[in-house]
Amino acid sequence: MKRVVSVSLGSSRRDHRVEVELLGERFEISRRGTDGNFDRALELLKELDGKVDAIGLGGIDVYLYAGKTRYVVRDGKKLMDAVQKTPVVDGSGLKNTLERETVYYLREHTDLLPPGTRVLMVSAVDRFGMAEAFAELGCDLTFGDLIFAAGIPYPIRTVKELEELAARLLPEMSKLPFHMLYPTGKKQETQDEEKVKKFGHYYREAQVIAGDYHLVRRYMPRLDGQTIITNTTTADDVAFLKEKGAGCLVTTTPEFQGRSFGTNVMEAVLVALLQKPWEQITPRDYLDLLQRLDFKPRVVYLR
Amino acid sequence: MASHAEITASLLAFQEGYNKNERLKIMNRDWDRVVLVQASDIPSQHTLELQNGELSVREGAPPRADLTVIADSETLADLFYGDITPTEPYMNGTLKIIGSEDDIVRLDFISLMIWGE
Repeated sequence: MKRVVSVSLGSSRRDHRVEVELLGERFEISRRGTDGNFDRALELLKELDGKVDAIGLGGIDVYLYAGKTRYVVRDGKKLMDAVQKTPVVDGSGLKNTLERETVYYLREHTDLLPPGTRVLMVSAVDRFGMAEAFAELGCDLTFGDLIFAAGIPYPIRTVKELEELAARLLPEMSKLPFHMLYPTGKKQETQDEEKVKKFGHYYREAQVIAGDYHLVRRYMPRLDGQTIITNTTTADDVAFLKEKGAGCLVTTTPEFQGRSFGTNVMEAVLVALLQKPWEQITPRDYLDLLQRLDFKPRVVYLR
Repeated sequence: MASHAEITASLLAFQEGYNKNERLKIMNRDWDRVVLVQASDIPSQHTLELQNGELSVREGAPPRADLTVIADSETLADLFYGDITPTEPYMNGTLKIIGSEDDIVRLDFISLMIWGE
């Protein structure tokens, strides 16, 4: 049995463990949240190093992309460097392939994403592949990176402007403590009421809201049937989205026993299956494997 | 060590950089804040005030500040001239910013929008 563990800076209330069979291999996949405790995450990573087949880093990004430039998040890299023997991934490799494919899939197989769809991405530098795919398919885009991470009411409308701002800001901002830029630990269980009130109109003006679930959740106002495209959701999350008035939920990662895991977990699973050093894995490797696994986005109508 | 006059000049350069950036003014239209800039090694205080997206600078402390920026005079002058970014000195404790976390991120952001590459 292969063991894949996701160590997350997120809430331990979302911890989960499943056993699945993938391409004839048995997998035990688990998630262990550290409630925003960075040192606890470091300890846990060191403890697991060499004892499991692959590790995913959750609740934090290590690499952010804008165009061809990769930015390294200092706190995320510290966690990654704590692991010396076991392959460790943050999900960014898979996001660039799986999430891009999800957008193409929705255009081709559903009526959720016709040309001109108004899409709000709460944050795009953590899923640039998805952002590019939306742009490619002619969606009317709002990138909320400045709005939600920095509280600046400035919607970025094009991939080009996103790249330009990222080049200016990310080399330095990626050195800040991660909790200053992204909700970690208990913050993931609450909403930022002030920002919901101030910026909720961006959600209501959109037809599709996409991005990291914790960000999507934290600033979500009352909705009117919008589609949510995200990754990690639990049964409680689905109930939350229903209660808020979302019309449809699309998760980019497959469901295992009622739960869609984070991209970091899925990338760790793929790395364990590929048995190749991470730096030698190409997007093509992931795409081929995703096809063999027949992974498709999960579409759940909530109304 | 920088002098009070050098810090004033650096803040005026910062103000000029800010005011030339129309996009930055739009971005900060909602952010009315009073910032006290204080040197830790010489008697030097300045006030930065953002109102309706416009930035003004004056010598002396404000009656009430939303944010307080404290560093040695050299660091302050380097920072506002754009010779260094705020992130490193903030992270190593050379630069102290007292205020809400959101406001600290915003101030970092403004500085990078003016001087960042």
